[in-house]
Amino acid sequence: MILLVAILAGLVAGLSLARLQKHPWTVPPLRLPWLVIIAFLPQFVNLYLVATSTWISDDLMAVGLIVSLTLLLVFCWFNRRLSGVWLLTLGLVFNLLVISANGGFMPISPQTASRLVLPETMATLANGDRFGYKDILLLPEQTRLIWLSDQFLPPEGFPYQVAFSLGDVIIAAGAFWLMVAQGKVVKAIKT
Amino acid sequence: MKNQIAKIFVFTQKINRQHIQVAFMLLTLVLFVLGAGAPSDGGINPPK
Repeated sequence: MILLVAILAGLVAGLSLARLQKHPWTVPPLRLPWLVIIAFLPQFVNLYLVATSTWISDDLMAVGLIVSLTLLLVFCWFNRRLSGVWLLTLGLVFNLLVISANGGFMPISPQTASRLVLPETMATLANGDRFGYKDILLLPEQTRLIWLSDQFLPPEGFPYQVAFSLGDVIIAAGAFWLMVAQGKVVKAIKT
Repeated sequence: MKNQIAKIFVFTQKINRQHIQVAFMLLTLVLFVLGAGAPSDGGINPPK
């Protein structure tokens, strides 16, 4: 949700900037966009599609998630010259590192998780259990690269409570920047 | 009925190549951030 807001905000900012500069907003010339669809497929089947996610083992899901993120990294490499992609890549690498180091899922501490679900739901969960779609409940002392885990929360009382990682923040910034940069006037290179 | 078809035809004429490019780029970027990001709002907890 927060990541989708970043895209939308970037699009609005990019269009406004283009309008101010009386310059048309251009579509980012993404290379190999089909690779993103292929990369997302394992996550869709393993995590989001109820019909399949219920019988696929956690081990297979973990492998699927790492393969998916690695394919997205390949996509970033092919699009590395576009503005903002280096930020997308950095965020993706951070998430890939912490997920790989913690058994293929994004670690979240019970303390952070307790802000997201009802106490009754929390009581049914134990350390090492899956949480949400991509997360796993882990005590801070058992978490590797804890500074890259889902540890940030919006202020208490904020209507939408979500835990996010440093990688997520950087990915949101990259998506925003990619959209805004398309509204900027590109100076012609003198030859 | 004919009027409806004519309206749909006019609408599809307005969809140009750039609209499709924008839609496809947005789809790509949305799938990218959903795939690469890992925020959690608790969502659905899988059965044990």
